Amino acid sequence: MTLPGWTREPLVHFLAAGAAIVLLLAWQGEEVDPASRSITVTQEDRARLALQWERTMSRPPTDAELDALTERFIREEVLYREALRLGLDRDDAVLRKRLANKMDYLAGSMAETAAVSDATLQQWLDNHPERFAEDTRYSFDQRYFAGREDAESALASGDREGEAISLPAAVENERRKQVEDRFGIAFRRGLDGLEPGSDWQGPVASGFGWHLVRVRARAPGTVPPLGDIRDRVETDWRAATKDRREDEAYRVLRDAYEVTVER
Amino acid sequence: MMQRILASTTALALALSLAACDDPGAQGATRAEQEAAVELSEFPERPYWGDTHLHTDNSVDAFGFGNRLGPEAALQFARGDEVESTTGVKAKLARPLDFLVIADHSDGLGATRRLYDAPRIGVVAMGDDTLLRWYDMMHESPEQSQRAIGEMITAAANDNLPPAMTNAEDNEENTREIWAAHLATLDKYYEPGVFTAFAGFEYTLMPDGNNLHRVVMFRDGYERTSTVLPYPGLSTEVTGLWDYMDNYERATGGKVLAIPHNSNLSNGLMFELTGPNGGPMSADYARRRAEREPVVEATQIKGDSESHPFLSPNDEFASFGDLGWDLGNLPLTARKDESMFAGEYLREALKNGLSIEQRTGANPYAFGMIGSTDSHTTLATGDEDNFFGKHTGNEPMEGRALQSQNLGTREGRFGWHYLAGGYAAVWARANTRAEIFDAMLRREVYATTGPRMVVRLFGGFGFTEEDWDGDWVRKGYSEGVPMGGNLADEGEAPVFMISALKDPDGANLDRVQIVKGWTNEDGTTGEKVYDVVWSDMDERARVGGKVPAVGDTVNRDDATYTNTIGAAELRSVWTDPDYREGQRAFYYVRVLEIPTPRWTLFDAVLYGLELPEDAMADAVAQERAYSSPIWLNPAAEPAQTVRRNMRNRPGRG
Repeated sequence: MTLPGWTREPLVHFLAAGAAIVLLLAWQGEEVDPASRSITVTQEDRARLALQWERTMSRPPTDAELDALTERFIREEVLYREALRLGLDRDDAVLRKRLANKMDYLAGSMAETAAVSDATLQQWLDNHPERFAEDTRYSFDQRYFAGREDAESALASGDREGEAISLPAAVENERRKQVEDRFGIAFRRGLDGLEPGSDWQGPVASGFGWHLVRVRARAPGTVPPLGDIRDRVETDWRAATKDRREDEAYRVLRDAYEVTVER
Repeated sequence: MMQRILASTTALALALSLAACDDPGAQGATRAEQEAAVELSEFPERPYWGDTHLHTDNSVDAFGFGNRLGPEAALQFARGDEVESTTGVKAKLARPLDFLVIADHSDGLGATRRLYDAPRIGVVAMGDDTLLRWYDMMHESPEQSQRAIGEMITAAANDNLPPAMTNAEDNEENTREIWAAHLATLDKYYEPGVFTAFAGFEYTLMPDGNNLHRVVMFRDGYERTSTVLPYPGLSTEVTGLWDYMDNYERATGGKVLAIPHNSNLSNGLMFELTGPNGGPMSADYARRRAEREPVVEATQIKGDSESHPFLSPNDEFASFGDLGWDLGNLPLTARKDESMFAGEYLREALKNGLSIEQRTGANPYAFGMIGSTDSHTTLATGDEDNFFGKHTGNEPMEGRALQSQNLGTREGRFGWHYLAGGYAAVWARANTRAEIFDAMLRREVYATTGPRMVVRLFGGFGFTEEDWDGDWVRKGYSEGVPMGGNLADEGEAPVFMISALKDPDGANLDRVQIVKGWTNEDGTTGEKVYDVVWSDMDERARVGGKVPAVGDTVNRDDATYTNTIGAAELRSVWTDPDYREGQRAFYYVRVLEIPTPRWTLFDAVLYGLELPEDAMADAVAQERAYSSPIWLNPAAEPAQTVRRNMRNRPGRG
């Protein structure tokens, strides 16, 4: 099987190893055998407890407080080991889910760290032009009529006064979104059905009523060169790659398992 | 130790990911260049649509409610990309927004997420039982997580959050990290001329659960905003926020404004007549407030604060979005009595502002109006047919309309009391941070409860109906002032040019009204709502002084309506028939749509629910827009706000 490029990076090996150790320890119960009934709270452990306290309370704990923290720590450790002895970790949905999430996170964060080449981004841009193409731009004149019949007879008679409404009679080179914002989605769709030219056409329906339209130009959006939109392409690539890497990392692990589902 | 290894492994991954980020400074410089290249129209030609009040998983409560979508998804969704909601539903806006302010709570920015991600033993070691209990509840199930956050809100309201969550110094390092990364993301998504991403935060001041929240919004990019941290709301006073804003502007040369919201949950405190500590309000305080808070959020998911029937008994449309919310304060730990309404609703505040100005020479409540969502799902949805819920716990699912809420669970607030949220419409010359922000400063903005109707308002003294035949917008700007502006009393009745165009993809319009408020010589105030223009005026003649209802085409069985009633556009030139020389007054426009289904009716149809009678009666409503007012001031009084408005007026170089 061919491994994706990232699986060959030393950093990945390191992180994967770290994650594996984490998992292992999580299931095995750290350096100690869960069956062991000896607990040593080291100087280091106590120092760490004191530091955590200090970060929260902005002062070091008193001896009594540190002893209380230590007692709490011991209590937690005892219960933790007993829980492992009883195998409670094995059907703890929360624990399972959290560890699985951490694995996903580790895999996903690869996408964040990887420096990305122009070639990769160019490929991404070429494969997904629709995500980066500029909006179609429209130039047209329109005349408004509340009723369809009025619009149709105006088209036939050549009387192009139209009725009063606070919409621009001429639109110059506006993006699709701007046209939709002003005239609505239905109108923009209607516009797309007309051939550009010098003739008045229609009527085209909108949320306001009916429009005679002269489409002077409709320029499909072009895809800008990578240099102009590198940020956007990179952002998009990273977002998509994160999901894909989580999937890939999972598949690599998954392939090492033999899974039987009994039905 | 497992935890230590886990922590260091993730820390390493994080450090590497940060190192791989672009240099935010260089990015900022590029954005500045792009912004300078955006062409400005001569005067605002169209409103830009946005949400100034969106929460992501960086908000303590949003995360606790189960939200797992961050700011990046928020920006992608708002600009029109498809994203997957926390509950796994694919979501995409049919009509993307033009701008977005992400306003996560400054208190404990990212704290719930940090708590959730912490190893349990670390939480144990903190020795706080409450914190540990919340931690466990958050990990147990979504339901428990929501209960935990309900308790957190109550604790915040009562000012007894565990010290670990509120200790600003301890949290500073974490906050700085989250904030800086967030600001860099905003710059990354800012596309001058196309889509504008604003930095901001929510200042969550809430004495005794009385909502005095503000959204704080910056005009600037990373270089300036990264020099400060979001200002905490807990255990502070609003004057402290204003000091913070002053300091920011002085130190960086940037600009920042604050937007109060949910005055309807403040139990009378948002728009007090007195100064901050009970004495009479001073002119200095009033001036400062008006300067710092030029715009107020009039409508959002947690109700509408424009008006209340108790204060406006003659206004039959005053009750929109009041139900449930007018029972008490935010967590409903304190009920409301009628004397509190005056300090809660915007129309009353605008009136009282005139009265205070008459007494002190400064108007604290000379604000414009916008709408927004206050969505906690990372998804800025303001429409009735796309309501994604107040928070992740009530994203689209069966029965959410009937759920009791965390905010007053046993006290009578239910899911159906939520509105779908509103939008902010901004008349700006281009879609950039500077243009949109400056339009908000000069209050050339309006609120809608969701629909994107286009509302123009100009005040002056010489407008006539004939102006519609020519370039009336140009005339409006050159011979009058737009919404948010000030007129000096010239001894004759002011004339207003008003145009309301329906949402092109929405419902027809019922009517356009002018709401006038004024102050009398003795300091008392008055208000009147005028029906200015309405659909089918010939058939709908006034009966007993009132315009008859427009009708109702909503089919309750399938949540549809037809545009067979109402009008596509309503416009009129209106002269105040009750003008009195020397009287201080304001005028704002309220536009009403024909009745349409609320999100609750869509839910009922989609999920085959039977709504209880009171919810059903509320399942159809007339959506609306509120313009910012135009003020009429006595002639010899160039108020400070007037000067600022003139200076910033577009089209005057």
